[in-house]
Amino acid sequence: MRMIAFAASLLLSTPVWAQDSAALVDTAITDHILPGFTSLANASEALKSAAATDCRSDSEALRTAYHKGFDAWMAVNHLRFGPTEADERAFALAFWPDTKGFTPKSLSKLIAAEDPVVADPAEFSEVSVAARGFFAMEFLLYDDRISQLGDDAYRCSLIQAVANDINRNADAILTDWQSTYATLMRTPSPEGPYTTDLAAVAELFKALDTGLQFNEEARLGRPLGTFDKPRPRRAEARRSGRSLQNISVSLSSLEQLASILSAQSPSPSDNLTAAFESALSHAEELQDDPVFAGVSDIQGRLRVEILQQYIGNIRDIVLQELGPALDVTAGFNALDGD
Amino acid sequence: MTRHFLTTSAAVLALTAPAFAATKADVVANYADIAAAKYEDSLTTTKTLQAAVNALIENPSAEALHNAQGAWLASRVPYQQTEVYRFGNAIVDDWEGKVNAWPLDEGLIDYVDADYGGPTDENPLAALNIVANPSFEVAGETIDAADITPALLESLHEADGVEANVATGYHAIEFLLWGQDKNGHNHGAGDRPWTDFAAGDACTGDNCDRRAAYLKAATDLLVSDLEFMAAQWSADGEARSTVTGDADAGLVAILTGMGSLSYGEQAGERMRLGLLLNDPEEEHDCFSDNTHNSHYYDGLGIQNVYLGEYVRVDGSLVSGPSVSDLVAEVNADLDAELQGKLSTTMMSLGRIKTAAESGFSYDQMLERGNEAGEALVMGGVNGLVDQTKSIEAAVKALGLDSLAFEGSDSLDNPDAVFE
Repeated sequence: MRMIAFAASLLLSTPVWAQDSAALVDTAITDHILPGFTSLANASEALKSAAATDCRSDSEALRTAYHKGFDAWMAVNHLRFGPTEADERAFALAFWPDTKGFTPKSLSKLIAAEDPVVADPAEFSEVSVAARGFFAMEFLLYDDRISQLGDDAYRCSLIQAVANDINRNADAILTDWQSTYATLMRTPSPEGPYTTDLAAVAELFKALDTGLQFNEEARLGRPLGTFDKPRPRRAEARRSGRSLQNISVSLSSLEQLASILSAQSPSPSDNLTAAFESALSHAEELQDDPVFAGVSDIQGRLRVEILQQYIGNIRDIVLQELGPALDVTAGFNALDGD
Repeated sequence: MTRHFLTTSAAVLALTAPAFAATKADVVANYADIAAAKYEDSLTTTKTLQAAVNALIENPSAEALHNAQGAWLASRVPYQQTEVYRFGNAIVDDWEGKVNAWPLDEGLIDYVDADYGGPTDENPLAALNIVANPSFEVAGETIDAADITPALLESLHEADGVEANVATGYHAIEFLLWGQDKNGHNHGAGDRPWTDFAAGDACTGDNCDRRAAYLKAATDLLVSDLEFMAAQWSADGEARSTVTGDADAGLVAILTGMGSLSYGEQAGERMRLGLLLNDPEEEHDCFSDNTHNSHYYDGLGIQNVYLGEYVRVDGSLVSGPSVSDLVAEVNADLDAELQGKLSTTMMSLGRIKTAAESGFSYDQMLERGNEAGEALVMGGVNGLVDQTKSIEAAVKALGLDSLAFEGSDSLDNPDAVFE
């Protein structure tokens, strides 16, 4: 009879052998989500102080604080649900890709008008997301034109306003996680955003998959363009030399999330460990091309395409092995559409 | 053992595959019938636009321009309702960029205001102005544009590999009929003078004959593109046979189209982004200020595909077995929930439309700090996001989840070249 039951469960195609979904969610919150957003709040606090102390665009202390803050964001930027989506916080922290050049356009407009909106944090939080967050800061610190544009004193106030706004959003996300959202996710209820533990697992699974997809299709796909028309200028954060760094930090963090989610599924877990290791060690080998300038020649392009392929392999394992093991699917995401 | 096993598996099969009153085959056939009706209606109304454009060119006047604008607006009503067919059907998605690409760098086509700016990081041809230049260079190659023909426009579409170089389709025509909207966040659409099409000394904006030739070529091309798509859904068309040939795959196409349009495309790219950027040009029909209708009819298309019924432009009804019927068979509560959410979305999109038609236009809603506008637009976004969750549940309830998401994965990762 046990054989019969076993065969029947295979036919039902849900091989859920006593999966403890609540434990997966709890570990993800304790070991991945809360530490990640705590680091972001701390790093953005440091960025705010650095800008208050020295707001010159070539200030070493300010640039270092910018990089640390951006690293901290990259480690959590796949967690796009709940607190990051309230009040458009994630968009305000990082608006990219910017296909129509909204960031330089809106920064130029503020600087040209010397818009007094920079003096009031509440009013500044209503400004276009393109003029806020890490990508606006990158233009203000590293873009040849924007970093010199207009009046120095006004640009200084703008840099401080952007740093304060980043810190305000990072704090708000952390506070929401600590005060309410961690509990909502740990204790499903009919009224909450998650009706079951499995629904919360599905949210984390979707975050993992979408994070991988974004690295593959946007961070690598955009500069790769097509073989005939590579687009190196579309590499993310190329002005501050962070294109590869963003992917490396994001992948390391996604590896941690994947390892938490696969803790109860030995086979996908081993395959995921190996696949992440291949991708991360290949990223290491690409260190001599930090902004993917090499996509324009055949050899350089091949190296970047290989990284993209390694990330695609991770995603295949996530969708085809981990998803069925957890009994969840990726569903629709923001990258659908065109 | 064997006998027991068979009994058990038969029981499981019976549980997982209930006999549907409406068959899957009927549902996908009705879906194809509605597609055929929508694309035929799009074609008919665009032929009316073509006649109005020809009249404008032969006899330019304020009234003739106004008539052509009216015909364009009418042609958008059935077309927007077809957008739900895009993401699930490769034949539609591969073709759609030619007819409805957006957003565009309109300086490619014709004159623009000085503060539009010149070439950008992303697009060296952002201010090319085809109307003014019978010859120009694209990516180092000289293009002879002395005759503006449908073939020339097709060759210039997405020129230099930049998607914002929209040389053809509804939005190129819209720009030629209305011109730039220079009102910013204030009320008012583009205000192209009819004399931009006038002959001889009456001509404004220069090159009226070339502008007219562009408008005619783009309109003729749109008609032939729509003829192509209407044929794909006819009795022996390929788009129809693709969905009817494999009913499960057809159902996946229906639900994928509904979910992708609701979430990533309309809620995200078209609505939320405009609010986030506070940019008045970041609206779908920015020249004509018809965005409220674009959104409304997109939403209506999602709803009428789910319900399996569509009201044609002549008022007749096409209806038949629907996905709603199939979902109701396996989970009546879920069907009621999804129907309710689709209605809520239509109510929210209706509010945007009502406000816009009574004078509070969509670009005003996007202005920084405009709370009423933000609430209206977010109402639509929230409805669309919420209905997506129930669409995902419907995919699962119909037992299509493995098929749906493995299918899209294979599209995302075409081949493992470097394995």
